[in-house]
Amino acid sequence: MSGTKATPKKAFNFFDAVEKPTEWLIRLCGWSSIIGIAAIFLFIFKEAAPMVPRLDWFHLFTSSRWIPNPAPGNEASFGALALLVGTFTTTFIGLVVAVPVGLGAAIYISEFATGKMKETLKIVIELLAAIPSIVWGFIGLMVLGPLVSQIFSAEPESVWSHIMVTLHLASSDTGAAQGTNLLTGGVILALMSVPLIVSLSEDALRAVPDTFREAALALGANPWETVRRVLLPAARNGLLAACMLGMGRAVGETMAVLLATGHSNRIPLALTDPVRTLTATIAAEMGETVHGDDHYRVLFILGIVLFVITCGINVASDFIVKGVKKANQA
Amino acid sequence: MSKQNRLRRGILLGAVIATSTSLLAPTRTFAAEIRVKGSDTMVQLATAWAEAYRKVKKDVLVNANGGGTGTGMAALQNDTTDICNASREIKKEEAEKTKSHTGKEVKEFVVAYDALAVYVNPNNPITEISVPELTEIWAEGGATTTWDQVNPAMRGKIVLVGRQNNSGTYDYFREHICGKTSDKKQREFRSGISELNGSSEVVENVAKTRLAMGYSGMGYKTDKVKWLKVSNKKGEHGVEPGTDVARSGKYPIARKLYLYTAGEPRPEVKAYIDWILSPAGQKIVEQEGFVPLN
Repeated sequence: MSGTKATPKKAFNFFDAVEKPTEWLIRLCGWSSIIGIAAIFLFIFKEAAPMVPRLDWFHLFTSSRWIPNPAPGNEASFGALALLVGTFTTTFIGLVVAVPVGLGAAIYISEFATGKMKETLKIVIELLAAIPSIVWGFIGLMVLGPLVSQIFSAEPESVWSHIMVTLHLASSDTGAAQGTNLLTGGVILALMSVPLIVSLSEDALRAVPDTFREAALALGANPWETVRRVLLPAARNGLLAACMLGMGRAVGETMAVLLATGHSNRIPLALTDPVRTLTATIAAEMGETVHGDDHYRVLFILGIVLFVITCGINVASDFIVKGVKKANQA
Repeated sequence: MSKQNRLRRGILLGAVIATSTSLLAPTRTFAAEIRVKGSDTMVQLATAWAEAYRKVKKDVLVNANGGGTGTGMAALQNDTTDICNASREIKKEEAEKTKSHTGKEVKEFVVAYDALAVYVNPNNPITEISVPELTEIWAEGGATTTWDQVNPAMRGKIVLVGRQNNSGTYDYFREHICGKTSDKKQREFRSGISELNGSSEVVENVAKTRLAMGYSGMGYKTDKVKWLKVSNKKGEHGVEPGTDVARSGKYPIARKLYLYTAGEPRPEVKAYIDWILSPAGQKIVEQEGFVPLN
């Protein structure tokens, strides 16, 4: 009697015992991203905290004098204005190149390419996304840089020289001083964010129901009109999100910009001036600071600034997408 | 969704391949390991020493790394290195920190001389420069920003290429070139200098940039760059960097290279340093483009 009773009870106990932990395990997996982000923020803030009240914040955002390792007897100067400007300008150049190219490629792949071409393009673009950022940096340094400095060089007094100076393409009458600069860095960032933008935009375009396309066709729209008047407005949310994520990628990119921008602390006055970004500064200097000194803590503060920027982008994109949704519904 | 997944799988695959190839590298066991860390200027030299020492003592593995003199000093304080390569003398607070963290006095060994060369592009017609001129070019508030201010034969902005701000080379060049302010303080570098993470990067950048001027160890000369003769005063004859002038002090920007250990080195480390100071070790100093002790 006891034997027969024990067996079903045992089986019951087993599942019962497993049920709860499994539930919790899955719950934990779900929460892990929240826990992760909280832990990251806490860590960055903890490292930066002792410097927060001591730092001259006004100086940080208004001065470009970045001298974290002064000579003995001198005061350190933490002016990150040029670094901020560097981050924003390279990202901006990157987006100016990446968004049209990325959207164009997505439209082509989703609406026009067929069969083998479509499959090949998809695979190649996914491959592009798998290239490590240091390799991109190297391409910027070794291939694109020399090309840029060749294109943007001129004899003084020549027509091209005048054009470059007037349009702020180069800051001196002999053209771009060095190949690694704002333009090179921006183009490399563009190449890196294009695969992301293409993939997500193509998803967004594909999510538009075929009935839309059929309706457009029935109304006599040609393919161009279908894309411009029907598909782009319908996929607007997804496309915006794709571009925003591409922007987030560009802001946070480190190794590639470290190599491709020239890493020069100054406010760029022309398209081919070298710049220096927040991320590259942290990467280049963090490894060699003494743990706990002012320089170390200020680098963490730069990390917080970056964190705030990327969070801002994400929140803004959320709001934009929601706003667009509401406008669509109205 | 499947596309995103495939995207992710591609990235994952790349990571897996990278990890597995590094794991497949053959492993060997050694009787002793000597950890060396520090100056980027010395990293090629340190690696050459380590490789040559393998033939001398097969069972000792010398693990030589760069990262900068500051990194090496920090590692010495944290006891994560046996030898710190330094391209400058240890700072007082670094020695004190090592003492308080490890309880040992640092020991200093001078192992070679190095001359910092001022590199320019081979297309640059200028051949000589004086230290005061270099000061105006490199120091904060300096008056010289274009090449024609140095020599009318050359036009365009001077593109300055230097090292990152925690390298020993950076400290050394600042100390010797930037000079002092009116209130006797060390002048800092000007803003807008490209700060690169490596001596050979500086040289490579100068090779590719027509308007560039860079500073780096003498050992990094390639045939795609040229170095300027340097004089102490404008009008004097410049001295080309070289072994004799570096050792004798005739060349204005020459320095000693050091090894530091925390306390008396372990026997195998001591044997390694002795070998570095021996003719065999000093021969490698010469081969790597630095200046041997004698």
